[in-house]
Amino acid sequence: MISAANFIQLLLSGLAMGAIYALTAKGLFISHLATSRMNFGQGEFLMIAAYLSMALILAGVPVLAAAVVVIAALGMLGWMLERFAIRPLDRLRSLAGGQYSWVLTTLGVALIIQNVATLVWGKSSQYSPPLFSESRSNVVHLFGVGVFVEELLVILTALLVVALFYWLLFRTRQGRAIYAVAYNPETAALLGVDVRRTVTLVFVLAAVLAGISGILVGPIVTVQPHMGLVFTVKAFAVASLGGFANPLGVLAGALIFGITESFSNYLNSKFGDLFPLLIVLALLIIKPSGLFGEAKTDVR
Amino acid sequence: MSADDNRPIWPRNLGYITAALAIAAFPLLIANAFYIHVAQTLFYTAVAVIGLNLLLGLSGQMSLGQAGFYAIGAYGSALLSSQLGWPLALAMPAGVVLAGLAGLVVGLIALRTRGLYLAMATLAFGFIVEITAQRWIDLTGGTMGVFGIPALDFGSRSMGKTYFLWVAGGVYLAAQILSDYVFASRYRRNLLALKENESSARTAGINVPLWRTVVFAVSAVAAGVAGAFFTHQSAYINSDAFTLNLTLTMLIATVIGGLGASYGPIIGTLITLLIAELIASLYDVSFLIYGVILLAVLLLFPQGAIGLLQKAAGLLRPAARQRGPRPDADAPAAALAPRVERKPGGEGPALVIDNVSKSYSGVTALANVTARIERGTVHALIGPNGAGKSTLINVVSGLYAADSGHIMLDGRDITRLPSYARTRLGLARTFQSLQLVPSLTALENVMIGIRRRRGAAADFVAWATTARFDSMERSRAFQLLDQFGISHVAGARPEDLPYGHRKLVELARAIAEEPAVMLLDEPIAGLNDEEARQISCVIRRIRDEGTTILLVEHNMDFVMNLSDRVTVLDYGECIAEGTPAQVRTNRRVITAYLGVGLEAEREAAAVAT
Repeated sequence: MISAANFIQLLLSGLAMGAIYALTAKGLFISHLATSRMNFGQGEFLMIAAYLSMALILAGVPVLAAAVVVIAALGMLGWMLERFAIRPLDRLRSLAGGQYSWVLTTLGVALIIQNVATLVWGKSSQYSPPLFSESRSNVVHLFGVGVFVEELLVILTALLVVALFYWLLFRTRQGRAIYAVAYNPETAALLGVDVRRTVTLVFVLAAVLAGISGILVGPIVTVQPHMGLVFTVKAFAVASLGGFANPLGVLAGALIFGITESFSNYLNSKFGDLFPLLIVLALLIIKPSGLFGEAKTDVR
Repeated sequence: MSADDNRPIWPRNLGYITAALAIAAFPLLIANAFYIHVAQTLFYTAVAVIGLNLLLGLSGQMSLGQAGFYAIGAYGSALLSSQLGWPLALAMPAGVVLAGLAGLVVGLIALRTRGLYLAMATLAFGFIVEITAQRWIDLTGGTMGVFGIPALDFGSRSMGKTYFLWVAGGVYLAAQILSDYVFASRYRRNLLALKENESSARTAGINVPLWRTVVFAVSAVAAGVAGAFFTHQSAYINSDAFTLNLTLTMLIATVIGGLGASYGPIIGTLITLLIAELIASLYDVSFLIYGVILLAVLLLFPQGAIGLLQKAAGLLRPAARQRGPRPDADAPAAALAPRVERKPGGEGPALVIDNVSKSYSGVTALANVTARIERGTVHALIGPNGAGKSTLINVVSGLYAADSGHIMLDGRDITRLPSYARTRLGLARTFQSLQLVPSLTALENVMIGIRRRRGAAADFVAWATTARFDSMERSRAFQLLDQFGISHVAGARPEDLPYGHRKLVELARAIAEEPAVMLLDEPIAGLNDEEARQISCVIRRIRDEGTTILLVEHNMDFVMNLSDRVTVLDYGECIAEGTPAQVRTNRRVITAYLGVGLEAEREAAAVAT
């Protein structure tokens, strides 16, 4: 049986990872919303951000400054991805394979990033220094249970970023432009929305979200060049669990997924991380639009 | 490709025989063990790539999990042969069957979702298989691998590699021939239709979910075949071989060869193997090189090697037209398909719409609409914009489900049947917004509508043994286009046709289905007078031949001249029904169209206040 203390610790670890998945999946969600495309290298973006942040902090750069640099670098990466690996494909749409070419080009960029990270930092796992506390194992006592400070602050930061994201999406002109482009790019253009800029913006935003996830995840997991795929797969799982059309569903899906994974890992250390994925795949068969998504019919 | 459809069979079959002889002779002439090994790998990998090419190139579905099926084929055969001692003749097919079963299960996702979800689900599937292979050490040995796997050498140390090459080459050749058949036959047309225009595929009688899943399972089987060969090539496997990079290599081979071309896979696999050999010493940057190759191929040479070869061939023979209005104008008259005689109609109306309602998230589009469409008549459905006419057509053809009520076709309740099943029972339709398949020619678009007259096996034999194995379909489609006076554009793609011609092509496809009841959604919208007259004549003729027609149209002259009966809808309700003359003088109809009643009410309200 799980003790109460254990339970709370598992819950918090689950929430921390869930919050990270939410951030990563938000990036997928927003680019899918506006363009029906997304970065299949989202996990590699997260990985490179984790490395960059680790390297900067180890070099003595203050955490906040390091975060700003990493976020700027990832924004740049997102811009380049859209500009050089996705946008040129529109010209080629009529040619064979045009429909899913973007899956392959974004995967191509992911391969390049993974290789560069291996060349620079080597293959072995590394530990990123903590962001908020003295050491990785700093503990505070909440309700008589010792919990990791790092995890707690990761959760809070991630939720803050998510809130900021919602504010941007629902309360700003840019957010409305994104929804307008999502609904119909031609109409949006006629209404004065700069479609091209909005499309670029969503990929920059997606990369920035992967960047923030990377900064936050460094101290609570080990950093290695192959970690990207795991995060890409799980972010997909979370986004489809929540229903791609529903922004709140992504958050709920991510937290449910993170917590399930945490307990599943505890109960079965060998294959525990696979069970939540299998559950999501099974759910996709039973309920293809996700737990919170609305079934959309394709009507011409 | 389609240009090859009617190529005489002998050059093609001679090509197969030459290829078979070359595969047989290769290991005997070239005794170099390394080259033999590369050739083995080329053949079995090409099988997996052929499967991927059918999946991605024809059905338009993306799989990022092929390495998973490959691994299941590999481990299945490895474990059955090494642990249970099964002979390879059983273990290898069993591994392939396991891969196919996994393909069916994952294909269920393809059945329920589309495109992007499938790409994500297959990525997750591949990941799960990879991790399981790594960690389930009791079963797979993880990175240590499975030992004691027998090699596919028929017990001969000296000739083993040669035998392996022959078997792998033979299997490849069989896969290539089947792929060529798919590319030449109705399967290519059907798959492209469901890839590019699902509505038209569904209403042309194609069971879209079934086909999606079948193609997916076929690609899984092909990957499983490659995995089984891989296992017994070096008689050792470990979990490092089945990562996402394997899937990506197969995808690179598919696009580098030329997606959607039957000979793309073998060329692409060859190029990929050559690249792998060339960069073997640059192990540190191999991912980087593969990433750059992916980007370069997709952004700079999206048609792949086949596209470049075709372009080069085109430059060499500028005079030779790639495609022209060639289709079977010279077909012997005897080959012309006789129109299938429709069974004499039964009793009662051809189509009954009984109390059908439909609403979209609260907005009522149809409220208890009832109509009887009598056999052999032209029945028009009219009403102001937003009256629910198109919704009714969509509900009858099965693209939308009715909320309540029944639809009877020839006395049979079809309310719960999917679109394709309704089509097979004799219901055809055209669309208000044209639904043609962009990458098929006008002729091929019409051929989609023609029912198959023989089973797959008989069709394959016909393809293998006779030139013009599909001349019946071709002639019939050509004849239909000819009747509309547009046979000269038979070889053109829809995007190159003027609007009126496209409209005629779609009508021809519907007629090709030889339906009992035809639904026409605004058949003359956007046409000029001459074209409208032509359509009017066609409709009369097919009615006189016994087809029942339900049409939606805004042009009142057209409707009143052509129709036997008219039903008027307004705000989803049936407000009048009768002969054109009766409807024309009906007060409610005049009110609905001219808004007299509303005006009067407003005036009354204005006076009252």
